[in-house]
Amino acid sequence: MQYELRYQVIEAKRQSYQNVIDRFGDQPATRYQEATLDVEPRENFHYRPTWAQDRELYDPRYSALRLTDPYTYADPRGFFYTPYVTNRAGLHDEFGKTLSYLEDRELLVTLPEAWRSVLGSVVIPLRHYESGCQLVSVTGARFAHGTSLAQCCTFAAFDRIGNAQMLSRVGIAVAGGVGDVLTTAKQEWLDGAHLQPLRRLVEEIMVADDWAEGLLAIDHVDSLLFPAMYSGLDEKALLGGAGAYSLVAQYLTTWFADQRRWLDALVAAWRGDPEHGPSNTEHLDRIAATWRPRAEEAVGALSAVVADRLDGVAA
Amino acid sequence: MTQAKPRAKKLPLKERYALLTRDLDWEPSYVEREKLFPYTSYEGIKIHDWDGWQDPFRLTVDAYYKYQAEKDKRLYAVLDGFAQSQGHLGLADASYLNAIKLFIQGVTPLEYAAHRHFAYLARYLEGPAPRFAALCQSIDELRHCQTQIHTISNYNKYYGGFHSWSKMHDRVWYLSVPKSLFDDAMSAGPFEFLISISFSFEYLLTNLLFVPFMSGASFNGDMPTMSFGFSAQSDESRHMTLGLEAIKFLLEQDEGNVPIIQAWIDKWFWRAYRMSALVAAMMDYMLPKPVMSWKEAFELYFEDQMLGGLFPDLEYYGIRPPRHVEDAIAEKDHLSHQVYKILHNFSFAAAFTTQTPGVEHSAWLSEQYPGTFDELYKPVWDKHARTEAAGGRIFFQGLPQLCQVCQIPMVFTEPDDPTSTSFRTSSFRSETFHTCSDGCKWIFDREPEKFVQAWLPVHQIYQGNCGGPSVPEVLDWYGIQEGDNGEYKGSPDQRSWAEWHSGAPKQGS
Repeated sequence: MQYELRYQVIEAKRQSYQNVIDRFGDQPATRYQEATLDVEPRENFHYRPTWAQDRELYDPRYSALRLTDPYTYADPRGFFYTPYVTNRAGLHDEFGKTLSYLEDRELLVTLPEAWRSVLGSVVIPLRHYESGCQLVSVTGARFAHGTSLAQCCTFAAFDRIGNAQMLSRVGIAVAGGVGDVLTTAKQEWLDGAHLQPLRRLVEEIMVADDWAEGLLAIDHVDSLLFPAMYSGLDEKALLGGAGAYSLVAQYLTTWFADQRRWLDALVAAWRGDPEHGPSNTEHLDRIAATWRPRAEEAVGALSAVVADRLDGVAA
Repeated sequence: MTQAKPRAKKLPLKERYALLTRDLDWEPSYVEREKLFPYTSYEGIKIHDWDGWQDPFRLTVDAYYKYQAEKDKRLYAVLDGFAQSQGHLGLADASYLNAIKLFIQGVTPLEYAAHRHFAYLARYLEGPAPRFAALCQSIDELRHCQTQIHTISNYNKYYGGFHSWSKMHDRVWYLSVPKSLFDDAMSAGPFEFLISISFSFEYLLTNLLFVPFMSGASFNGDMPTMSFGFSAQSDESRHMTLGLEAIKFLLEQDEGNVPIIQAWIDKWFWRAYRMSALVAAMMDYMLPKPVMSWKEAFELYFEDQMLGGLFPDLEYYGIRPPRHVEDAIAEKDHLSHQVYKILHNFSFAAAFTTQTPGVEHSAWLSEQYPGTFDELYKPVWDKHARTEAAGGRIFFQGLPQLCQVCQIPMVFTEPDDPTSTSFRTSSFRSETFHTCSDGCKWIFDREPEKFVQAWLPVHQIYQGNCGGPSVPEVLDWYGIQEGDNGEYKGSPDQRSWAEWHSGAPKQGS
């Protein structure tokens, strides 16, 4: 049984903005659609950028990867600003609670020595890697063609600072509330032989001219690094008395699964584009051929150290 | 019973924040620094110590998500409630929405531009701390753009003029005023962008450019826009402190920066001030319930707060008030009237409607502008009123000449003579370029290579780049739909409003 509330009905003259109507007909639109479609300016730019005089302020030529219409791509997560921050507020809130629990019980301070060493010299230094990834992702926030792509890059850039801060807070917790572990981890990032292939790789990706190539090069690293360093160490951690590590690493695994969703869809859109598909595919293959072996080398060097340090602990 | 644990050590807040932000950075050794940050030297600004940047606010990512998610939850609850209750019927009048049309066409796209170009700063500034501050602002500006789209989405369903805001910003003549301003800032180097937008726009003139729309909303029953304004306030105050820190940081880094920054302040004050002419017209002519006059706002927010408060502080760094500020002061009694006259004359080609001020409105204007309104502007409106009483409506035939810099039609008068129009010319590559004022001429003469590139809407129409030679063809290309434009009285908005408010008998009457 329902009660009958009478309310005033006024017939709408249109259901959405004209650009949305032009695409889907005059029907109610989602907030994602209204906040995303055709928002980026398209034409009649007044002045050429002093920092790129052969380009317009918004220009598909900032990347070799193109979409005929960037709005055929939609973020499968449906993220515009509000659902994005709402989702991440949840993730970071959970992480914060977990970390407090571990801090209260000193479960990170009392990790077995081998695990402390893995965290201090391999995992915590990755906060700098995340920071480099932020720089790469934010390039797409500026130069991607189309709001649908650029906002994903913006969220990814902010995510990477979030990841870096999660790792930093773990580092502070491992040190019992101070910055010592972060200081030695930074030294490892700068000088540790095992981290140099990764640092060199990230620095080279950071200066890539093509924002999309940079983003994909990072993704080649991510897709090896995240399984190797987070989800992949789970079992060893649980069996080796480092359950605390498994508890914090799960948030990075969760994040990476989310990152995959929009990026895989974007790569599929590039490959399947009616006009640029073949040329995109060529570029994607070239990008993989250029960066994948470097990523394997860089992540391999870290995995070797992890295996070495944990040898005997979980065996 | 639990045993007391030794107190965990705790990092001081400032140190902890530094570890979570700027300490993430490192000095690259596999690539050259100049290759990583290629754009920080060509403007002549010298930075000796990026670590000298004082974080104007300390917000970690987790706290950011938490606050923003909570704010958005509240804002969208207001939007949903307003939509469900047909809250638009409670506005002061449908003509109020002309201000909001101007807002979504003119301002919302600037939020988006700021979003994209603060991402540029988040990439290319060399210091990790200002890069992070820029990243926060970039994502905030996306929030503002998107929440504005959603705030106004409900009005769009019932009223004209909102439906094609994005296309219009790229094409329509009066919107090239804000668009060219942001294009100017974005096409400059990173430091000029920082001074133009963070300092001049967000700090110096934000109370004259952005806030009047929010205040107008609160006076005219527009709860969604007002709620948006309140919801953006804490973001804006972060942006304002960023603007202030940016200018102090740049000035402290090197004495040689001072004249460069002074010139940018001179330029960007006038650029942003000229754009505020549209806001002046909105404040004095488009709000059924006015908040305050342009003149009063200018005196309070600019003369008192900025010239009286900020600039004496900046004097310590060798910065003086902006060039041409005396011209802005001299025309505060004229600006809104001159600009609204133009909008009124040309609203057949605009995506909003205009109307001649009525008796009460005129009386309010006389009161607000005792020295000028009755003598100079009221006679013009009286003439319009007489024509309209006889069933006519005067629109200007033909196309106006635009200022090469601010792109406003050449309507402004000489600072010392309100009866003669101010024209300035400059010659560049043996061509003549027209500007509306000493301020705009000074800006043109400083960077003629840049300003000759301007996409001037009137020139473009004459060159056949705007859909065709006739007015209907141009309007069609603009995306203007029947009834979006022209006179308010008798417009579809006005007719619907009257219809929605008539009908049912009132109990007790």
